[in-house]
Amino acid sequence: MANILIVDDSSTMRKIISRSLRQAGLEVETIFEAGDGIEGLNALGSGSIDLILSDINMPNMDGLEFVKQARAQGYTAPIVMITTEGGEDIIGEAINSGANGSIRKPFTPDQLQEKLGGLL
Amino acid sequence: MSLNAKVMEFAHLQEKEMAGYIIAATKEVFSTMVTMEVEDCYPLLEPITQFHCSVTGMVGMAGSYTGMLSIHCPALLAMSITSNMLGMEVEEVGEDVNDALGEIANMLGGHVKQVLSKGGLDLNLSIPTVISGETYTIRSMDNDDCVVIPFQHNGEKFLVGLTLKKEG
Repeated sequence: MANILIVDDSSTMRKIISRSLRQAGLEVETIFEAGDGIEGLNALGSGSIDLILSDINMPNMDGLEFVKQARAQGYTAPIVMITTEGGEDIIGEAINSGANGSIRKPFTPDQLQEKLGGLL
Repeated sequence: MSLNAKVMEFAHLQEKEMAGYIIAATKEVFSTMVTMEVEDCYPLLEPITQFHCSVTGMVGMAGSYTGMLSIHCPALLAMSITSNMLGMEVEEVGEDVNDALGEIANMLGGHVKQVLSKGGLDLNLSIPTVISGETYTIRSMDNDDCVVIPFQHNGEKFLVGLTLKKEG
């Protein structure tokens, strides 16, 4: 059973991702939520996280900076970007910064299972 | 009302193609994230710039070109959309509806950005903005540089618009 952190400025999207993770049949223990990269880093510091799902386009601290800082601070949990920013350049930048993969919004529970099943 | 011909030429796209991408993206977003099937009624026959009891979600695009992707929904439909996305009944236009419409605009904007980037246009997306009210006017839909696509769900209509122009 995994602890998952969702970092997304949209509360609607955080709820959809949470619901889709359970619909996908992934073994989820607890889902933590953060509204931007700063809150995401704080959440990482307060618990044991097995997988991080992060948006890119967010206020205060975007997803790219969040990935860089999370890796710089030594967090090793897989980070998967869930984003509308599906361009190769921005996804490439996320991967180079330490992300492990990406999922494009919109997505289906089956797509989450396919991309995340191997990481849990 | 049509997209700026020079912008479309630079992006190697015809306006009908761009409309087709927006229609496909809107149907995909509604089908997967809203669990609501929608039909397009393209083309729009009469320009619409004034909205009544509606909610508008917008995401700006900036770069060598500027633009805006927007979705305009009657309040009742916006509440139904939000209810479906959240999996709970929503009975007023407030934070939840604003967030849901902003996120739909964001997903559609991301799709349009990807299409235009492949065509050679370099654009960045803004954080979504949402407005609502009894009566308001969207001035960007009152010019020659936009395409507006009507959709419907169970007889309720909503619009998705794209404005795009060259800066400077």
